[in-house]
Amino acid sequence: MTTTIAEKTREITYLEAVREAMSQEMRQNSDVFILGEDIGVYGGAFGVTRGMIEEFGPERVRNTPISEAAISGAAVGAALTGMRPILELQFSDFITIAMDQMVNQAAKTRYMFGGKGKVPMVLRTPAGSGTGAAAQHSQSLEAWMAHIPGLKVVQPSTAYDVKGLLKAAMDDDNPVVFYEHKLLYRTSGHVPEEQYSIPLGKADVKREGTDVTIVATAIMVHKALEAAAELEKEGISVEVIDPRTIVPLDEETIIESVKKTGRLIVVHEAVKRGGIGGEIASMIAESEAFDYLDAPIKRLGGLAVPIPYNPTLEKAAIPQVPDIIAAVRETVKNK
Amino acid sequence: MVTKLNLPTSITDEKLKDLYKEMWLIRYFDEKVDQFFAKGLIHGTTHLCVGQEASAAGSIAVLESRDKIVSTHRGHGHCISKEGDVNKMMAELFGRETGYCKGKGGSMHIADVEKGNLGANGIVGGGIPLAVGAALTSKMRNEDYVVLCFFGDGASNEGSFHESVNLAAIWDLPVVFICENNQYGMSGPVKDMTRVEHIADRAKAYGIPGEIVDGCDMIDIMNSVDNAVRRAREGGGPTLIEMKTYRWKGHSKSDAKKYRTREEENEWRAKDGIKRFKEALITSGVLTEEEAKALQEEANREIEEAVRFAEASPEPSIDTLEEDVYA
Amino acid sequence: MAKEIFMPKLSSTMETGTLLQWFKEEGDSVEIGEPLFEIMTDKINIEVESYDEGILLKKYFGEDDQVPVNHVIGYIGIEGEDVPQEAPGVSGAETEEAAPAENPEPQLVAAGSAETAITDEKPRATPAARHLARTEGIELRDVQGSGPNGRVHKKDVTAHAESSPVEAKATPLARKVAAGEGVDLSAVQGSGANGKVVKQDVISAKRTTAPVAGTSARKKMSGMRKVIAERMVQSKQTAPHVTMTSEIDMTKVKELRASLLPVVEKQTGFRLSYTEILMKATAAALARHPEINVSLEGDEIVQHGHVHLGLAVAVADGLMVPVIKDVLAKGLAELTQDAKEISRRARENKLLPDQMKGSTFTISNVGMYAVDMFTPVINQPESAILGVGRMQDKPVAVNGALEIRPMMTLSLSFDHRVIDGAPAAAFLTELKDVLENPYELLV
Repeated sequence: MTTTIAEKTREITYLEAVREAMSQEMRQNSDVFILGEDIGVYGGAFGVTRGMIEEFGPERVRNTPISEAAISGAAVGAALTGMRPILELQFSDFITIAMDQMVNQAAKTRYMFGGKGKVPMVLRTPAGSGTGAAAQHSQSLEAWMAHIPGLKVVQPSTAYDVKGLLKAAMDDDNPVVFYEHKLLYRTSGHVPEEQYSIPLGKADVKREGTDVTIVATAIMVHKALEAAAELEKEGISVEVIDPRTIVPLDEETIIESVKKTGRLIVVHEAVKRGGIGGEIASMIAESEAFDYLDAPIKRLGGLAVPIPYNPTLEKAAIPQVPDIIAAVRETVKNK
Repeated sequence: MVTKLNLPTSITDEKLKDLYKEMWLIRYFDEKVDQFFAKGLIHGTTHLCVGQEASAAGSIAVLESRDKIVSTHRGHGHCISKEGDVNKMMAELFGRETGYCKGKGGSMHIADVEKGNLGANGIVGGGIPLAVGAALTSKMRNEDYVVLCFFGDGASNEGSFHESVNLAAIWDLPVVFICENNQYGMSGPVKDMTRVEHIADRAKAYGIPGEIVDGCDMIDIMNSVDNAVRRAREGGGPTLIEMKTYRWKGHSKSDAKKYRTREEENEWRAKDGIKRFKEALITSGVLTEEEAKALQEEANREIEEAVRFAEASPEPSIDTLEEDVYA
Repeated sequence: MAKEIFMPKLSSTMETGTLLQWFKEEGDSVEIGEPLFEIMTDKINIEVESYDEGILLKKYFGEDDQVPVNHVIGYIGIEGEDVPQEAPGVSGAETEEAAPAENPEPQLVAAGSAETAITDEKPRATPAARHLARTEGIELRDVQGSGPNGRVHKKDVTAHAESSPVEAKATPLARKVAAGEGVDLSAVQGSGANGKVVKQDVISAKRTTAPVAGTSARKKMSGMRKVIAERMVQSKQTAPHVTMTSEIDMTKVKELRASLLPVVEKQTGFRLSYTEILMKATAAALARHPEINVSLEGDEIVQHGHVHLGLAVAVADGLMVPVIKDVLAKGLAELTQDAKEISRRARENKLLPDQMKGSTFTISNVGMYAVDMFTPVINQPESAILGVGRMQDKPVAVNGALEIRPMMTLSLSFDHRVIDGAPAAAFLTELKDVLENPYELLV
C-alpha cells in the first residue's frame, strides 16, 4: 500500500478526487481546460464535473456538441499549440469515434514530425460494466490503446491513486488515456487535500504475500483484495499488484513479485482474448522470472461476449471474487 | 497601359514578385519530385500539387507570420508558401536526417510547428479537427492568430469536416476552411460524390459564410482569403472558401488517370494560375518579362540546389528509430 | 486366478531366452514394475519387470535354463492359489485365444518396463523445477512429479534432492569414466563449479579408493559379464586377428571441430566430439572400401550396402555396443545427437533391443585415457574394428621442419579369414587421408 501519509487527509470519493485533481490544476494553470459533452451545468454523464462550470466558466469548461471526432481532434490541435486540454468522453466505448484522432494524430504527431511538437492532453473516460448499460456502454477497451506507441494508458483503482495519477497525467507532455471505472466513482478513501503526483509507470503493491502474485487492474484490484482476504483464512498468502498504468508498465515490480512467489495470475475486466493479461503473462515468460515460475500462469478476463443487459448475465461475463479464489487455489495446489 | 491591381493592402509589389517566384518554386519542386519518383530515387508515395500553386501561394500570402496552417496529403505547396525550406523538404522526401522530420515522416507529414505549419496529414479530413483546436488555443490565450485549414473536396464528405466546421462555428473560432476542390477525390469525381453543386454551399448548414473562388486566380484568392482572415481575427468566426482548381498530375505516383479526359486536362491547363499571375503582373507594371524570366530561373536553381543538398545529406542513424515516440 | 509369468520376445529374431537369475523367491510378494528376473538373448541381457502384483507362487525354471519365448516360467497370484505342478508350456494356451507367437509389441514394452515408456517423453515440469534441477544437476526424469499428469514442481525437485543426497553432480565425461572404472560418483569430491565432479576427480578418487592390499572380494559374474566373456572368447577363437596402426595428424580435425562446435551445439544442444567426426570419416572410408564393411555368415561373405556403426560404450560393470544406423546419410549434427542419446541410454541401461543390433563395423574410443594404442577385439559378426587412442601434441617433421602437431593413433583389427592385409592397409590409409583433410568430406 502506498504509504504517503499526508498532513491533511480526509475521506472523499474517487469521483470527488478526480474533480479535485482537475480543479486544483485549473486554479493554478490557465492552459488547462476541460472539454466534453454535457460537462457544463449538467456536470457530465457521471457528475464528475459538477460545479466546475460555475467556478471556471464556460470558456474553460467547454460544453461540446456530440462530435467525438471533432472534440478529440480539437484537443489534439489545442495541445499541439500550447494548451493542456482534458477531454472527457462520456463513455469509453465512444473512443471508437475518436479513434482516428487519438491513434493517427495524437499518438504519432511528435514522431512523424521528427521530434517536433508535443501533445500534452488527457482523455478521461469512464469504463467498465456493472451499471446495466449493456453492450455499447460497458466495455473495457484499454488494450486497444495500450497497443499504440505514443499513447500512455492509466487505470486508477482507488481515490488516492486517481488524484495523484491524474495530476501526473495532466503534467505529462504526451497524450494520456485515463480510464476511470464507473463502479469506483462512489468508492472512497483517504485523500490528501493538497496536490500530489503519482508517477506514471509505478505499480503499487496493494497487499504483500508470498504464495502467488495477482496482477489486477481497475475494479479487479478490489476483487483480488477481497479474494486474498478470504484465502488468507486457508493459509494462502496472496500478493496483489496494481500496475496503475498499463503504458508505461512497471515490469520490474511484477517480475520481482513473481520471482518471490513463483506463481502469477492476471485479472482484468476486459475480454481475455487480446487483453493486457496476455501482455503481462508474456512479459513474465520472457523475463528472468520465468525460471521461478512453479505453476502455469493464469489469466482471468471477460468472456468473449458483448456485455449483456441482464444483471446476472452481466456479472457472469467478467471475473468475480469466487473465480479469483478458485484460480488461486488451482495455482497454489502444488505449492 | 498600366492597370492598378485590386489587392489587399498588405500585398506590396515586392511581395507580388516573391509570390511569382514562390509559385515556380512549388511547381519545380513537385516536377522534380515526380522525376525522382519516376527514376526510383525516392520511395514511398507522394501527391503532387502541380496546377494548384495559386491556392497555396495566394491563400497563405495574406497571413501574418504568427498565423498557422493545417495542410493535407497534397501539401508541398502549402509548406513552401508557409516559409518552408525547400532543402529540408527535399531532404525529407529523400528520407535524410536533415529533412523536416529527420527522415521519419516523408511526403505526407512535413510540418514546421515553430513556423506555424501544423503539418500535412495522411488521413483525409484528419487535420480539420486539429485546425479547430489550434484556433481554440488562439482564442483562449488571446494569441491573435488565425488558422488556415486546407482540405480537399474528398475530405468534405468526412464526418470530421462536418463536426469540425460546426464546432468552430458555435465557438466563433478564428479558422478559415479552405476547400481545394480539384475535382477528384482520388478517382471519384466531385459531381458523383456530392449532391450539392458547390462545396461552399455546405457553409449554410453551419451558419457561416461560404464563398466560391477561382482557384487559379491569385488576385481573387488573395482578396477572398484576406476578407475571411480579417473577419476571423476580429472574432467573426470561420468562413468556408471553396477554390475551384485542378491537379495536373494523377492522384499519386501510380495513377493512369482513366477517370478523366485529355480534353478536360487541357482546358484546365489553359487556366494555369502561374501564367495568369505573370500576365497580371506585367500588365500592371509590377514585373517585366525579363524580371519574370529571372525569377523563374532563380526558382529552378533553388530546387536544383535542394536536390544537391538532399543527396549530400546523411541517412538517419538506426539509433534514432525509437526516439521521439514520447516527449 | 493366478497370472502367468512368461518369457518375453524382445526382438523379431528371438526364439529362446536364457534365464540368468530370479530376483524373487517363491512366496515373496511382488509389486507391479518390480524387477522379477533377468534374461539373456542373443543380443542383450535385460531385467524383466512384473506386470502383476501378488505373491510369486511358482518358478518353473532356474538359472541358465533356456526357455522358448512366450512359454510360462512362473505364476503370480494370491497366497495358496493353485498352480500347475509342471510348466504348462505356451502362455495363454489354456484360454481359447492362444496368444500368437509373433507379437513383439507388448513384450517390447514389458522389456523396457513402464519407466521406459514414460522416460521416452520429455518430463513435464515447471520452469522453477527445471531451473532448480539444472543448477542441482538433477535429472528431471528421475523426479516424481506431484502435479497434474506428473508435472514436476519445485518442491518435488527439492524433495528428490533431499531423499537422494547421493545423486552427485558430475560432467558427462566424469560419469562415463566413473562407470568404466566402477567408481561411486557420490563418494567423489568434485572440484568443478558448485562441486561438480570432473574427470580428474574420478581418476584421483580411483587411486585413493583402490582396494587395500590383502583384502580380496569375490562376486558372481553378472549376466552382462557372462555375455561379454562369451563373445570375447568367440571372437578371439574364431577370427584370426591382425592389428595395424597408423598415426594421424589431427590438426585439421581440431580446426573443423572448433568451428562446427557452436553450430552443432545450437542445433542439437549437444557438444560435437571427435568421436562423431571419426564416425563420419570412417563411414566415408568404408564406402570407398566396401570389402572392409563385411560379415562372415556361414560360408558366405556378406558385403553390406549400408554403414551401421557400433560404438563401444563403457557402462557400470561392463561394456555395450549400441548401434548408429545409416551413418553415411547423416550429418555431424544428427550424428552428435544420435551418439549422445544412444550413449546415455546405454549408460542408463535403457537401450532398446533394436538399438543394439545390425552394426557392420565398430569404433572403440579410449582417447579419454592415457592410452596411445591398443588391439581391439572384433565385435562379431563384423570383420573389423577401429581402436582410437588419445590425441597428444607431438613433435613431427613437416616439410623438413620440426613442428608440434596433435597426433592420434588408430588401430585397425581385422578378421584375416575374410579381409587381406592389402585392402585393410588401403582402408586405414584412406581413413588417415580423410582425417588429415577432413574438408573433403564436404565434396
